[in-house]
This record gives sequence, C-alpha cells and structure tokens, in this order.
Amino acid sequence: MKTVPDIKILGIESSCDETAAAIVKNGRHILSNVVNSQIAIHQEFGGVVPEIASRKHIENITLVVDAAFKEAGLKYEDIDAIAVTNAPGLVGALLVGLSFAKGFAYALGKPLIAVNHLHGHIYANFLEHDDIEFPAVCLIVSGGHTSILYMSEAGHYEVMGSTIDDAAGEAFDKVARFLGIGYPGGPAIQKAAAEGIAGKFVLPRVFLNRKNFDFSFSGLKTAAMNQWKKNNHENNSVNDLAAEFQTALVEILSVKTIRAAQECNARSVLLAGGVAANSELRKMMKFKSELAGLKVYYPSLKLCTDNAAMIAGTAYSQYSKGDFAPLNLNAYASLLSL
Amino acid sequence: MELYVETDEAMQLLGQRIAPFLSAGDVVYLQGEMGAGKTTLVRGIARGMGYAGRVTSPTFTIMNIYPNEPDIYHFDFYRLDHHDLPDLGLDDYLSGEGVVLIEWPEIGMEFLPEEAMVIEISLIDDDYERGRKVQLMPRGLYFVQKIEEIEKQCSF
Repeated sequence: MKTVPDIKILGIESSCDETAAAIVKNGRHILSNVVNSQIAIHQEFGGVVPEIASRKHIENITLVVDAAFKEAGLKYEDIDAIAVTNAPGLVGALLVGLSFAKGFAYALGKPLIAVNHLHGHIYANFLEHDDIEFPAVCLIVSGGHTSILYMSEAGHYEVMGSTIDDAAGEAFDKVARFLGIGYPGGPAIQKAAAEGIAGKFVLPRVFLNRKNFDFSFSGLKTAAMNQWKKNNHENNSVNDLAAEFQTALVEILSVKTIRAAQECNARSVLLAGGVAANSELRKMMKFKSELAGLKVYYPSLKLCTDNAAMIAGTAYSQYSKGDFAPLNLNAYASLLSL
Repeated sequence: MELYVETDEAMQLLGQRIAPFLSAGDVVYLQGEMGAGKTTLVRGIARGMGYAGRVTSPTFTIMNIYPNEPDIYHFDFYRLDHHDLPDLGLDDYLSGEGVVLIEWPEIGMEFLPEEAMVIEISLIDDDYERGRKVQLMPRGLYFVQKIEEIEKQCSF
C-alpha cells in the first residue's frame, strides 16, 4: 500500500491586533499554534490601545514564526507550503505577514497560499470536528464582523445576513468600557453578567422579529448606555445591566441563526469568531439547536480568537487542489467576496 | 453652523445634505461621544454621495473603504493610540483620491491635515433618547466657504 505523505503547512496571520504563526499537518493536526497576544498591553491602558500598528507586527513576526517551528519540533525545510491571511484587515498590518510569507516561500522554494481571514475562523470548526454535515449555517461573530452564512458544502459561502451598523463584539467592548468593567469587553461582560439578573433592566431585542437575517447592535448599545446614565448605580446594578445586555445579544444572535438554519434546511449550525467564546452564547446555541434537531459546533476557546492554526488548516484543501498564489499577491482591506 | 437633529433618520438626512459639498481630497473629522451618532452621519454622507452599500462601524477594522465615485475612506481611531498613527499608512488615503471621514480624530490630530471640516455631535442634557446638537466648524478658508454654502442650502 502506498502511503500518502503528510502535508505540513505554516500559517501566518497579522490582519488585526495579533501576530500569529502555526504549523498544521494535513489540515487537521495542530503541531504548533503561537499567538503574540497583546492583551496585557491593552489592559494597562484601560482597553483602547491595541498596538495595532504595523511596527508591532514587524517586531513580533520572526519571533512567533520561530516559536511555531520550535513548538512543532520542525526545521524550515520540513514544511510543504506557507499560508497567509491577505484579506480582510488593515492593509498595513496584513502586509507585514504577507511580505514575510512571500520572502519565506521564495527563499524555501515552497508554494504560497492566500487565505481569507473569515474562512479561517469558520475552518476552526473543521480543525476540531470531522463529522460536520452539510448544508450548514454559520454565525460568524467577532469585533469586526457579525454575519450569518449558508454553506452548501465545504468552502462555499453565501451571506444570508449581517450587521447594518456595529458588530456584536464591538457592542460588548463599548458597553463594557462605558460601564467601567474592563477589557476585553466580552469576558468582562460575561463575568459581570454571571453576578447579575437579566430582566431588572429591559433592553430592546433589535431586529429580532424582522424576517431577514440582518442585525443592528448600535441601538442596543446606546440603550444600555442610556439606562446606565439614568440609573443611580446602586447595589448590583452594573451586573444586572451586564446580564440584560448579554441576554439580549445572545437571544438575538441565537434566534436568528436557528431561524436561518431552519429556513434553508441546514443539518448543522456552526459558531465562529471571537464572540463564539462567550459561554452564554455557546450554551444558548446548543440548547436551541438541539431543540430544533440540529447539530451545533463551535471551536475550542483558543481557536475562536485570531490565530494562525485556522489559516494553515484552511489552506490544506487549496494545497490539495494546487491553488497557489503568485509572489505578487496583494493585501485587501475589505472582503471582495466570501 | 449649528443644528438640532431629532432622530436617526434626520441625522442621516443631514449627511445626505452635506454630501454634495464634499469632493475628492476633502477631510471631515467627526467628534462626539460613543453612541452620539457619528457612524449614522457617515452613513448619510455615503448615501448622499451615491453609495448604496452597507456602512458599518469601523471601530474594529479601523478603516472601511466604500467603492464609489469618488471613493469614501471611513476611519475610526477609537481603538488606537496616537503612537499607532504614523504606521497606519494614512498618507495613502490623504492624497486626494477620495473623501476621508474620520471618527475619533482627536486621538491623533498631530498626524492629520490642518484643513478640514469638523463636525461635532453632542447629546442634549446627557440623554441618548433625545435629539442631538450638530455643529459644523471649518478649519481653513476652503471649509469656511463650504460650510457657508451648506448653511444656505440647509433649512432644517
């Protein structure tokens, strides 16, 4: 019997705040996964300084790539291809990872593979689960994105709806900052909400009853801030407001996603992106999916937030198809298509 | 120039009225606290310039580009520190090919052009449920004239 050789792909990600590198074997086995988390820096400054500058990525990139090789116990020449995020993101930030990947690919004589950051987030589910059935509906929810996608098969995405103003993760961060409970906003709200009671404050479920799959979180954010301004800030009110805010968000996200899945006769529901780490959202999606006879999947916490393992994993099917990028590959700020 | 804007829809309409006076290379600074309505005003400006697509908050993405004639560059510096600004590659967008709309410009004023239209949105009595006060303030003679023109055409 002929054995199929293992394919090891180096993934590089620098689209936003994180500089990350990882090596994944055969699109499934994570040999290393290094993220230069800058959260410690954010917290020092009260939550608004992401050190997003390209300069920071330049300082980090060789360190995280070397750490990824060390963690995997591999040498440069052991990898078969280099995958890199080239959209969407901040162009200056993307270009750091992209230029590094190109140089690396050229020097090693290995192919370069371009990966869309959002495809990576969705693929995080496939890194850890091999029983996902199609068609599937995916809720991708993070600081910069909130969309419901329809997937007829692996690698095919159709947008069913998305936010018309703020992303859910942004609403979490801004409300947390307004309430003065810390950064990042998702975990801070989750922690405060666990000590509070939803329903003591009443926030609107914006767009919940609209038939389409769009979201609007800007009004929910200002409603929460307004209630806080008018409140006398006594007893447990900050936790109660956090609880109501989280409940409203989770309800809107989960109800709309399940409704979308039912409308297109999906068999699976996927969660992806940083906000997919929220435990209430995971719990509610699981509950509602099972009630509707759907199987629900979400990545482990480490793979919800930005990382490069999802980039290296996504690239595997492109590698198999010989879908390689030229060395003049460009970076794009916006999503040209899904 | 100062106006009172009652609703979200009126804020968007104001943006649509301002839009015809903006041309490629113009820079607009949008100031006002979180939830004041800066992105809503930008949405109106984009609509008024003929862009029909979605206008979302760039807080996390830092910049959204709306392909249009001319292009619209929608920035949000909320998450940034002023040290970050020189590395953003802003000059590529300030070279006159598009209209530049910047939320939270106060974070890095020293790296931004002097000449601009400043739009400040304020809450009334610190209440989000009430209307907003919107002030248009020129920086430089070019925008003094633009705002005079806008004032003539805007009878709210």
